[in-house]
Order: sequence, then structure tokens, then C-alpha cells
Amino acid sequence: MDTQTKIGRIDIKGAEVTFKAPKGRKIEALVATDLVIEAGSFISLIGPSGCGKSTLLNAVGGFVPLTAGTIELDGEPVTGINPDVGVVFQQYALFPWFTALGNVMFALKRFKISKEERLKRAYAALKEVGLEGREKTFPGQLSGGMRQRVALARVFVTSPKVLLMDEPFGALDAQTRVAMHEILLRIWEAHRTTVLFVTHDVDEALILSDRAHIMSAGPGRIIETMEVTQERPRHVDNIGPDFLTARNHIIRLLRQPGAEDH
Amino acid sequence: MLEAFKKVGQLVLSLSGVVVIWSLFANSGFISQNLFPTPGQVWHAAIDLYQDGVLMSDLRISLTRAAIGFSIGASLGILLGLLTARVKIVSIAIEPFLNLLRPIPAIALVPVAIVWFGIGEGSKYFVISYTVFLAVWLNTHAGASDVASTYIRAARSLGASRTREFFEVIIPASAPAIFVGLRLGAALAFLSLVAAELSGASAGIGFRLQDARQFIRTDRMFVGLIQLGILGALLDAAFAYTGRRLVHWENA
Repeated sequence: MDTQTKIGRIDIKGAEVTFKAPKGRKIEALVATDLVIEAGSFISLIGPSGCGKSTLLNAVGGFVPLTAGTIELDGEPVTGINPDVGVVFQQYALFPWFTALGNVMFALKRFKISKEERLKRAYAALKEVGLEGREKTFPGQLSGGMRQRVALARVFVTSPKVLLMDEPFGALDAQTRVAMHEILLRIWEAHRTTVLFVTHDVDEALILSDRAHIMSAGPGRIIETMEVTQERPRHVDNIGPDFLTARNHIIRLLRQPGAEDH
Repeated sequence: MLEAFKKVGQLVLSLSGVVVIWSLFANSGFISQNLFPTPGQVWHAAIDLYQDGVLMSDLRISLTRAAIGFSIGASLGILLGLLTARVKIVSIAIEPFLNLLRPIPAIALVPVAIVWFGIGEGSKYFVISYTVFLAVWLNTHAGASDVASTYIRAARSLGASRTREFFEVIIPASAPAIFVGLRLGAALAFLSLVAAELSGASAGIGFRLQDARQFIRTDRMFVGLIQLGILGALLDAAFAYTGRRLVHWENA
């Protein structure tokens, strides 16, 4: 692919987030961080709670303002919530009063295209995540895995430049999670959106991403970056020695004092 | 289907039990039947009132008052509830005032309403809509203030304008709470309706109760009370049913 035309590059320069705590104290959620996320890459942020992984993701999404530093998306500074950045939340965040189709249509409404075209794209997006025939179903009648598939369809249908995923499969059981990984990778390979994926599951990070940033708490920071070189598709039932070495290394890192869960 | 059948059976059983005990008590001689009429006497009083035409006209007049008062109060309550919950300036300007109004019972407003609007329909509408308004406003405000932030984040990150966010996210997300308010408001509409009719009216169920008191016609009073009971229960069931259908996702 021609690198000149690629979109979805994120430049994080000295990004710092401090929260005010009671009695004038300050909490350093994220110390000054520099990070370049290549367009079209799949990046994981992994670490215990309080390590700043969600804070960093929320800063890229424009949900949390930076205390210092800058974040640029394709050279444009991030100043607030931006529809070019898609988000998949852990709690699904589907609108329960709309059907699966209605939820996807909601995302398409900002585009100036005919209703027929919107419907066509919405049906296609739901088909892509394997929900053909479930278009008129309300989220409350769908399983957790199916809900998250609707959420994937809702976000991919707008072709965002960047996709942020905050522990999207954390609430699912192990089997459903494996199925979701396959669906996500299949769609990602078709769209090649830049993905920033937050998780506390080491296997998940190694199966999905090109590169994993391991983070630590108190204060929140990146302590190590690891390239995942194994060819895709990767499966939990087919892991090589490289995978195991990487896995053991990350788990040891996360166990160190200072990386403890709070 | 079987469930519905069971419910009807339960209702019939419970009501016939009440009528039997009532009948035994009224016929026992412990208490004068002028003060505590038998079911038969109440039935006859109802037939009399029906033949006079006042049973149905009272029902119609009272229901119309309740419906008009409810509509005014409920619309204002929903509108202001959404505004006080989502628009900072409106909330700062009127929320303290509304909190001051809240503890004032509707009955206390009846004398004021009569001075302002006379004993005509105006004072009834005022008292009823005031009561309904407070219940609906309070619940709408609570519901709309409490919309999950993930819904709002999701809407904004999907590029929804503030107008779309309001109509497609805030309003449906508040709908369950609004319905709680409307159901409560419907019950309160009846309460304040009777309060308003008791003190100055020339027709309606409340007036009929007061009128029967002048002649110590307890049988007619019982007819009025039973009317209110049936009407209230039917209305509440209708609201519960409509609410369940409209905010279907709540119980899913």
C-alpha cells in the first residue's frame, strides 16, 4: 500500500493527563507520553487498572482533555469528540430503544446520502458481522456477543480513520470472545482502520495486535513496547514458542512492584 | 391467555368475598343501615342515579376535568423536566422555585383557585394540572438528569448534533422515568379532582358525594366511592400497559 495515501496516523507528543483530587491533591493519570501510531496498525494498550490505558484512549477520543502535550490525528490536533474516531465501549452503549438496524442507521445519519443508500449500507454492515436476519431485533433480545457485533457494525459502517476499543470483550465469556476476535480481525483486514485496543488480557493483546504497549500504574505510564511478529491468523489453540515467551515476559512485567493492581 | 384467565378468576373471587363480608356486616344489626348500607341498597342507588342520568353525566364531567387537567400538567411537566435537567440556565432559574412549590398540597390550593378562577371549570383544571405537573416534572427531571454518559458519548462520537442527541437519545433514555411520572400523575389527578369538586362544583363525582352528605344518603356516597375506585384502577392498568409497550426495552 502507498504510505502517502494512508490515513489514521496518530502522533502523541508529551501527552499528560492530571486529575484533580479532593484537598487540592493531584492524580497523575498519565505522565508525559510520546507515541506514534502508524496508520492502519493494530495497537494494544495493556496493564492493570489505574495504569492510564483508558485515559490515553479517552484522550485520543477527545473525551478527556490533556493537561499538557498534544495529540494529532493525521496532523490535525485532537480538540474534542470527533466523528472520524469511532469508539466501541465495554458496556456496548447501543441504544436499546432502536433496533440493530436503527442503531447502525443512527451512525449513518450525519452523511448526506439518500435513505435508500443508508439502508443499503446498514444492511451490508450487519451482514458483515454475521447478523443477517437480526436487523429488526432490539439489543435487549440479543446476546452479549451479538450486541457487541452490532456495536462493531455501527462503528465500521462510518469508515472511521481510527477505532478506539475500551475492553470491548471484557464482559463476554471465553468462547464468545474468541469468536469476536475472529470477526474483529476479519473486518479490520477488510477496512484497515487504525485500531487502539485497551485490554487487561495478555492473550487478547498478543492475538490481535501488531504492537503492544505495556503500561503500569502510579503514575500511569508506558513501561515497555513489544512487537508481535507472528503471522496472522493467530489462534489460542495454535500458539508457538514466541507467543509463550512474549506472554510470560508481559505477565512478569505486570507483576513487578508498581505494576500491581490497585 | 391462561395467565389472563387466572387474573380474572382471582379478581372475581376477591371481589365476591368482599361483597359477602360487607353484606354480612351490614345485615348484622350492629350498625344502622342508614350509616352503612348493604350491597343491595348501594346497587339500587346506582340504578336510580343511572336512570336519572346523573351517573353517566357525573362520570363524563369528572373524566373530562381530569383529562384536561392531566394533559396540561403532564405536557408542562415533561417540557420543563427536560429543560431543567438538560439546560443549565433554566435549571438555575426555576429549580429552587419548583422545590419550594413541591411540599404545598393540592388541597391547599383549592381556596386560592376558587378566588382566582371562580367555582367554574377553570379552578378544577388549575388544581389538577398543578398536582400532575409536579409529579411529572419531578420524575422527568430525575430521568433526564440521569442519562448514562456512555449513551451521550456514543451519540457524540457518532457525529450526532445536539438536536439529534436531545430527540433520539435524551428523550428515549428518559422515557421510563417519564412514564413513572405520568402514571403517578394520573392517580394524583383523581385525588385533586375530588378535592376540587368537594369544595364547590355543581356536577361530577366529587359533587355527588358532597350532595349525598346533605341528605345523609350513604348508599349514594358508596356509589361514588366505588365509581372512583373502578375508574382509578382501570386508568392505572391502562397506563401501566401503555408504558410497558412504549418503553419495551426496560424489561427486556
